[in-house]
Amino acid sequence: MKTLVFIVIVLISGGLAGLVHGTVNFAIVEPYLDQAIGLENESLFASGEAEDTLEFWAEYESYRIWQKSGQVLAGVILGLAMGSLFGIVFGLSRNSLPGKNVVSKAVFLSVLMWFTLYLIPFLKYPANPPTVGDGETVVLRAILYVSFIIISGIGVVIFYKLSKKLNGNKRYLSLVGYAGLMVVAFIAMPDNPDEITAPMNLVNEFRFVSVLGVSSFWGSVGIILGLFWKKFDKTSNLEDS
Amino acid sequence: MSEVRQINKSKFAVSKVAILALAIVFAAGLFVVGFDQGHIFSIVYGEQAFVDLTIHELTHDMRHAAGFPCH
Repeated sequence: MKTLVFIVIVLISGGLAGLVHGTVNFAIVEPYLDQAIGLENESLFASGEAEDTLEFWAEYESYRIWQKSGQVLAGVILGLAMGSLFGIVFGLSRNSLPGKNVVSKAVFLSVLMWFTLYLIPFLKYPANPPTVGDGETVVLRAILYVSFIIISGIGVVIFYKLSKKLNGNKRYLSLVGYAGLMVVAFIAMPDNPDEITAPMNLVNEFRFVSVLGVSSFWGSVGIILGLFWKKFDKTSNLEDS
Repeated sequence: MSEVRQINKSKFAVSKVAILALAIVFAAGLFVVGFDQGHIFSIVYGEQAFVDLTIHELTHDMRHAAGFPCH
């Protein structure tokens, strides 16, 4: 497989998985976003920061259409980005991943990355709908979120490499090591500083559909890149071990 | 008795150029969707871009849905 083919299949895989993510979000997350923004508007009217006028709703409709129309496009852009990271990691690690064939190896890695780069950070810093989140703390929250992802990502690489050097049941020690690292990070890292003022059932339902959306990306990207790799990498073959 | 197992191995080596190109796409895409607050358009539109937040609003719904911090 040529380098250009590798780059192209990685980008197409990420873009397609991002399209799936954006479409799923459009179908199941948008209703919750509308509901949350509706509460935000009510709060603006109650506090006197905005008036319930035709002009307000005209302006609201115009930017909500812009925001909604960006859902799928942003899904593709995010898919290209995360798909690129997935492609790099898969390209470098595929021969050491468990799995009978290249598709199962890619799926294994996508599940691993979903778990370590998304689900574990989500447990500490879960997604929030628009009514939750102070503009003043957005930089702090971004630093905390990214730091947690980096700790989890680097942690899993270190402990995965360690597990390869251990034999038999000792390999489970690396799993314990990763879990220990994340427990320490979970306790040591500050919580999200913003108070949740929205109804908890709305927040929890939003978080649930948000997880489904992101999971649709990671579920798709592994399968798609694995299938492309199988088709285009003619150097793959079966060897005795 | 020893057991012979067959595993699938690929001899394709990922080039540094490919890693660099994909790393750029990763960083740029992540910044656009997750963190831009007018920074990119400020290159062309100056301070007004931080008021308009064009890219922020375009990626707003995905930003919330994917778990990125937002206002």
